Amino acid sequence: MHWHLGDEAALARAWRAATPFPHVVIDDLAADPEALLAVLEEEHVDRYEGDLFVFEASAPEPRSEELRAVRASFASALAPVLARVTGRSLGRADMRAYAYRVGHYLLPHTDHREGLGRVLAYAYYLPSPTPPNGGELELFRCTVDGGAITAVEPACVIEPRANRLVVFEVGDASLHQVREVLAGLRISLAGWFYP
Amino acid sequence: MSLDLLFGATSIVPDAIDGLAAAALRHQRFTRYGLLDRGSYEIAEGVAVPPASIAHAAAATGRTLRVIASRVLRLSAGDYVLAHHDPLRDDNPVELVLDLSAVAVPDADVWYRRRGQPFFRVPSAPGSLAIVERGPTVTSNHAYVSRQRPDAVVVRLIALLG
Repeated sequence: MHWHLGDEAALARAWRAATPFPHVVIDDLAADPEALLAVLEEEHVDRYEGDLFVFEASAPEPRSEELRAVRASFASALAPVLARVTGRSLGRADMRAYAYRVGHYLLPHTDHREGLGRVLAYAYYLPSPTPPNGGELELFRCTVDGGAITAVEPACVIEPRANRLVVFEVGDASLHQVREVLAGLRISLAGWFYP
Repeated sequence: MSLDLLFGATSIVPDAIDGLAAAALRHQRFTRYGLLDRGSYEIAEGVAVPPASIAHAAAATGRTLRVIASRVLRLSAGDYVLAHHDPLRDDNPVELVLDLSAVAVPDADVWYRRRGQPFFRVPSAPGSLAIVERGPTVTSNHAYVSRQRPDAVVVRLIALLG
């Protein structure tokens, strides 16, 4: 597998300039995104439903050797670069496959949990046989007081374009959501980088 | 036996309010709640609770009840209330959910959860009254209202009785 991250200096500038919190969007990441999609054909997904979300996802630990290999390749290629871009110490990454069908969503949340060690969150969008209408990643600008969010406003919408990677910093103000998919299918690989 | 199981009665009374009375209660001075990590909805507080609803709850639970708090929530397409926005209560109140909506909205349910696990679903059913005896680990959430139905509106009177 080959991953194209592009110009590190440009990524670092984009990271520092990004609002409402540090993030970067990298298009044309994988040399062969269709091959990545093929890996998922053997990966089982289950439906997950809670007050915050409805989606389908693979198990936290990939069942297939092929997806474990993608995760290892992704982490080893990206962690050193993203560490330099973001100035954060990065080691391993986890990875799950997600399928958002019509009516699926993930409501606003920060990903931040004490003790879990999530440093960066990422989502990589795969080619879809029926590209989604909806399913955008939306970032919010928050005012935080004493660890609690006291004001929220929409700030940034990122389309789930095929072969696009989005990476953002996880913190108590990194409020984001996946908008409801209104048509089509949104397929992604997503997870977090850890120290 | 845990307190959760001592305080766990649930029931749904269909046709607990007629259409005209529900329509009158739908008209409130709403303000929008916008801390999106907890919920997205409109709210009017301190709304009078129909005495018949309190009587239903008293009959269902065998308790003498008075209103502790009440509010009307209005959820449109894209709105929701998350479970962690509903504070835990250790005084074991009875909660009423009176559906004031004009029409049913599929999947726009209220879910009651015990230690986060769903144990009672209140479907969207105009005119219905849900009665829940809350234990100390119970929270509720109002499910996301799909944008596939852009005109959907759910209106509920929520009352805490004790």
